[in-house]
Amino acid sequence: MIPQTSTQSTPIIQIQNVHKRFHTLRGTVHALRGVSLDVQPGEVVVIIGPSGSGKSTLLRCINRLETTDSGRIIVDNIPLTGAKNINKVRAEVGMVFQSFNLFPDKTALENITLAQRVVRKRRKAEAEARAHDLLAKVGIPDKADAYPGQLSGGQQQRVAIARALAMDPKIMLFDEPTSALDPEMIKEVLDVMLALAREGMTMVVVSHEMGFARAAADRAVFMDEGLIIEEGEPDVLFSNPTHERTKLFLSKIL
Amino acid sequence: MPDERDYPEVQPAQPMPPQHSGEIYDDLQFEVKEGLGDRLMNWIAGLPWWAIILAVVAVAALYSMFTSAAYRDVLRALTDNPQVTTEDLFEVVQIVGEPTMIVGRYVGESQDSVSTVITSLLDDVIDSELVQRAGFLVREDPATITIQTESGRVTIPRQRITTMDPPDAGLGDNVSVEYIERVTVTGTLTARDDKTLTIRTVNEQIETFDTDRILSEETITTPEGEEIVRIEREGLSYQGRLTTLSQTGISLVQEDETPIELRRADVDFLAIPTLTVALNAAAAERTIGPDDEVRIGFIQGTDITRALQELDALDDIPVPLRYGDGTARVALISYADLDALMEAVAAGELDAALYLSGAEDRLAMAEWVENHPDAAVVLPTPPRECQRNCTVTVKLRDDVVEGRVLERTEDTISIQTVAPEFVVIDRDQILENRRTEPGACALNNLRGCNAGIFLTLRVTFIAYGLALLIGLFFGLMRVQKNPILYAFSTLYVEVVRGIPLLVILLYAGFVVSPWLRDNTPLQLSDEWEAVLGLSFGYGAFIAEIFRAGIQSISRGQMEAARSLGMSYPQAMRYVVLPQAVRVVLPPLGNDFIAMLKDSALISVLALPDLLQLGRLYISRTFRAFEGYNTVALLYLLMTLFLSLLVRVIERRTRLPG
Repeated sequence: MIPQTSTQSTPIIQIQNVHKRFHTLRGTVHALRGVSLDVQPGEVVVIIGPSGSGKSTLLRCINRLETTDSGRIIVDNIPLTGAKNINKVRAEVGMVFQSFNLFPDKTALENITLAQRVVRKRRKAEAEARAHDLLAKVGIPDKADAYPGQLSGGQQQRVAIARALAMDPKIMLFDEPTSALDPEMIKEVLDVMLALAREGMTMVVVSHEMGFARAAADRAVFMDEGLIIEEGEPDVLFSNPTHERTKLFLSKIL
Repeated sequence: MPDERDYPEVQPAQPMPPQHSGEIYDDLQFEVKEGLGDRLMNWIAGLPWWAIILAVVAVAALYSMFTSAAYRDVLRALTDNPQVTTEDLFEVVQIVGEPTMIVGRYVGESQDSVSTVITSLLDDVIDSELVQRAGFLVREDPATITIQTESGRVTIPRQRITTMDPPDAGLGDNVSVEYIERVTVTGTLTARDDKTLTIRTVNEQIETFDTDRILSEETITTPEGEEIVRIEREGLSYQGRLTTLSQTGISLVQEDETPIELRRADVDFLAIPTLTVALNAAAAERTIGPDDEVRIGFIQGTDITRALQELDALDDIPVPLRYGDGTARVALISYADLDALMEAVAAGELDAALYLSGAEDRLAMAEWVENHPDAAVVLPTPPRECQRNCTVTVKLRDDVVEGRVLERTEDTISIQTVAPEFVVIDRDQILENRRTEPGACALNNLRGCNAGIFLTLRVTFIAYGLALLIGLFFGLMRVQKNPILYAFSTLYVEVVRGIPLLVILLYAGFVVSPWLRDNTPLQLSDEWEAVLGLSFGYGAFIAEIFRAGIQSISRGQMEAARSLGMSYPQAMRYVVLPQAVRVVLPPLGNDFIAMLKDSALISVLALPDLLQLGRLYISRTFRAFEGYNTVALLYLLMTLFLSLLVRVIERRTRLPG
């Protein structure tokens, strides 16, 4: 699968024929049924699809929050299956969650400095300087000492983005970053993501924000029932889908 | 890069005002819900830590002042040494040259006689307080010497030195000194002035003895106007078979088979039967043929059979008496008295004379020979004390008793003795004065407080600390996917939770501890047995609290931490546990209070904890009402105070927003 964008370097993410099954009390759910996807460095990929189509699972597989049953995932030339030091890979892959997952007992500043100090072994002053820079970058420089409970949803998500960026990741994964937000806060988060995309960050975004996809994404991917149905440039995919299921889905959300 | 036509220029986002909807109601809730208690709690929770600690100390001080006035006896019995009597107790650590000045410590519950108690105490004092130090002699004066030891300079009064090696050491010499470091006197303060303290060591008992032992009697009046009789009485005499004879003691079996032990120091005289052999000087040279006759004399009434047996026991039997081949004939001739017997020997009428006597005149024959140097009589061996199964006579020293007469019959007299031991101590000689007063134990004298409330608190604190560690360890195991760890921790939790704490404590005290003693070098004290049992028993509950706390933290927290590259232990340590601890603080606080109450169970291990002392007090005084009231009140005060503390901690760790 060759991406339409220009660069032809080695893909930073290679996903090859990945299967994933969840075993529950009610039975087995086959969440991923042979997904393959390459992401080039600097590329922004938006994944859309109906609920339960496996898009979040795919994202979580990329930093091994979920294990795969078969297939290969190679991130930054390191195969994830059987990787000796998964933590090293994870430090290179930032993740932003739908429910923010900020540490509620720590201030915004501490949220951002903790992993820098524990994982990157940075000194306190260095970590804090980086945190203040990032808070300024995401537009909330005055919230350093606020606890997550004192922040709005949009502010929390921006702190979460800053937290992930503090590790200087090569790849950022966004798992429906705006789904839990009130409509008026969505824009402030998307603005930050758009700025990030423009800086050339490799991003994989699970989101239904068509405006963002059109503005920022190099490629859009439509998934359904654990398979990639269709992919292409966002404008093309959204306005002129070839597959029936894509058409049906787009007709519902647009 | 993508086309941006239909998307507005991205501006740095502006900080937005907080949007959450609960805000307006916060004020409303404050007005509706905050009562006086809440306001007080909030105020307390807002204080800095040092102020809270200061307040705790202040409350404790007020408490001890209050309690020292009310329920004074009971409280002291519970918070202080259980063995005090109703009199105020003074303990003075004193320097003296002669440890024998100390009469002793009266132990109220003891069944021992006073002399035994004194003896044991004296031994203790001498054994434990005699210290040895080595160093360079750096200063000498008539009263003291100073030596420089490894740990510093020590000045030792010369009168307290028992040995010094070398004895004639001069300045700069390396010496080793053994001296009495300190001696403790316990008693009631009866007088004090600028220079001295006078202490009456409490030392009373009732003595009953036969009136015929009274040698003299006089009545004296004390300065306080009390009439005291002073009796000189004859020491007791005993007769019996000697079983042991040592430097310090004598053991006898009396005729009625009752054994008796006597201290050598108490014995006035001891009579052991002694065999004396006298020979005619010519007979001592004579050889005895098969048909010869050996004539042996003895005094009428003495036990000649016994004397012959003792003779056989001699390792070298004098010549004419060696008739042992059985062919010589022996003639035994008795005489009326010693003089007649000895004259017969001197005259050659007898070959030999035997004399066995246990009385005071046991050396009479030897004396006769000494007094008649010209007589033809020799003593081939010195008088020999009886070797086996002899009946001896012991007489104890006469002594003097003083006291009030309680009862006088024809045969006996009972005296309440009041020991006249007043110890006067120079204040200069007092190293430190550990004054024990009612209630004072609570704050200013924790040294002697190894009992009661202090034991309860100490055991609870240590056991709870250990239980936290055990609980955290097993709690973390309980949330692991590894089936072995999970199964092991579940087994611990289920088994221990299913056994009554009392049974676990008994296990710790009577199964685990003896096993450790037999199979390992570990020697657990009663207190550590209690700590072990309590912490092991409570660890299971605390493990469950930690498990629930960890599981209450959403999985997203762990995922977020892992997605940032933290390892599992790092994520647990820095992200999950700090949040879990906030969640579990209230139940942990409850468990601490519960443990404080359950620590009353440790009294089954014979530990003098608060409850045990209460029961001892009640069994001594039959004041169950006051006793249990005080026990309950003390527990209540501690738990109320602790639950207040738990609430303050809870509020202070509450997250903003």
